[in-house]
Amino acid sequence: MHVPDGLLSTEVCLGAGAISLCAYGYSLHRLKDSLAERTVPMTGMMAALIFAGQMINFPIALFGIPSVSGHLMGGVLAAAVLGPWAGCIAVTLVLVVQCLLFADGGLLALGVNVLNMAVIGSLGGYAVFAFVRRLLGGGARGTLAGGVIAAWLSVIAASALFCLEFSLSHNGGEMFQVRRLFALMVSVHSAIGVGEALITGSVIGFVLAQRPDLLYTADTIDSGRAVPRAGRAVVVGVMCALAVAAFVAPFASGFDDGLVTISKQMDFNKLEQSRALLFADYDQVLPGWQKLSVSLSGIIGALAVLMIAFLLDRSLRLRQRAATATATDVTHE
Amino acid sequence: MSNYLDRYGRNRSLCHRLPPRLKLLLTLGVVLAGVSIPVKYWPAHGVLMSLVFIGHSVAHVPLSYLARRLAIFMPMVCMLSLSVPISQGFAAGWEIMAAILFRTTLSFVAMLWLVNVMPFDQLLFTLRTLWVPDIIVAMLSFMYRYIFVLWDELDKMRVARRARSFGGVSLWYRWTSAAQLIGMLLIRAMERAERVHGAMCARGWDGVVRTLDDE
Repeated sequence: MHVPDGLLSTEVCLGAGAISLCAYGYSLHRLKDSLAERTVPMTGMMAALIFAGQMINFPIALFGIPSVSGHLMGGVLAAAVLGPWAGCIAVTLVLVVQCLLFADGGLLALGVNVLNMAVIGSLGGYAVFAFVRRLLGGGARGTLAGGVIAAWLSVIAASALFCLEFSLSHNGGEMFQVRRLFALMVSVHSAIGVGEALITGSVIGFVLAQRPDLLYTADTIDSGRAVPRAGRAVVVGVMCALAVAAFVAPFASGFDDGLVTISKQMDFNKLEQSRALLFADYDQVLPGWQKLSVSLSGIIGALAVLMIAFLLDRSLRLRQRAATATATDVTHE
Repeated sequence: MSNYLDRYGRNRSLCHRLPPRLKLLLTLGVVLAGVSIPVKYWPAHGVLMSLVFIGHSVAHVPLSYLARRLAIFMPMVCMLSLSVPISQGFAAGWEIMAAILFRTTLSFVAMLWLVNVMPFDQLLFTLRTLWVPDIIVAMLSFMYRYIFVLWDELDKMRVARRARSFGGVSLWYRWTSAAQLIGMLLIRAMERAERVHGAMCARGWDGVVRTLDDE
């Protein structure tokens, strides 16, 4: 997952570095305001925890290969426990140590990695997490669903951002089409994101059952009143529709125009013509595979994530009921 | 774990005696040169690569270690660079792929050199002199200290789990138990951080790190 040096051009690396430096400085500023002397042990310990947690393998029984395994990325988890600002800093610390102690991820590309994983993963992930939690009323169910959805989206957002950076780096390349790369990357990562969502959701569920006070609660979130049930259903439906539309829309229309304004060197008309000459039968055999694959993987991934949220919520409620039952037993004795 | 982190950082050689800032700058220079030289001047990449390998051999980093790290690194990079021709339709993208392969391998080996000639305490000291805020350096040193503690704790919990299960369990069970492992580690880590913070406050901690090399 870590971007090594040499994959992206120096300008893109420096630009991403500048953005992540700003976000990092702002996080540090926000953190210094709140609880300066508590920050060092808490954030340092969280970074060490993510570092150790990434060494736990989650086996994937794909194609019957036993050795394939995934691991936690942890941006959303850090934000859920420490809050967005400290979470962003903790994930950045992990990335710095992985770069300078393991050569995992490049030195120049450190800014890119911080942007993709810490800034998008923690700050962006926390925004989604807080939004969903508020939508569902701030209880255990909302927290769990927020964590699951935010984890899935953070992985997809990171891969989409990587495609953007990659296309900006290699826009001089002849015949380069970013939407094909985008289709490939996002399809693969919506499957990887389901794994991250499952891990993050299980860990948050475990912490909710054992020590719910450890999770970060900002006053602004918990004071928000729950949206009524019918309104909730409408909002969720609209959100799903929007998500699907967001996946389908770039491939149905308009994406080329938006991208041409980003990188003026890319001349899609010329590219389309020369590509039509070279790959006439290729496109006939597989018409628009990339549209289909991205839309399908988006829909399947969204369904899987909702399923995970539902199942984890049920198991959490069972566990909490068991905990209260034993507590009342003890008081009766 | 200590076998894994900082493995060759304590070797004695010419490379290890270089001033830490120079090491950081050298590596950055090699990476920058490797990234900015176009592929058609590929002999320059070869020269840089041989320089990096000479650096490795002067620093007494064994070849087997390099081979092992590259064996983990190469499949990922190959898949990433292959995704360009795959997504572009098997006639384009080969030049981009070659550039990616050349540059990433060179930069990775250069980074491995830096990692193996610079122990972590030296790195922290260098970061302090490079205007990195003190609070970041303090968090980094705290993190480095507790990676080993958490790793030992994780090892204990893994042994305990293995002692209680006889294997042959389902995939779902293995996922949930691994997630519970992380959750338990998180709870223990946060409780430990609270205890450590209390102990630090009892010893006069006010958010500012003071070290002996301040004066």
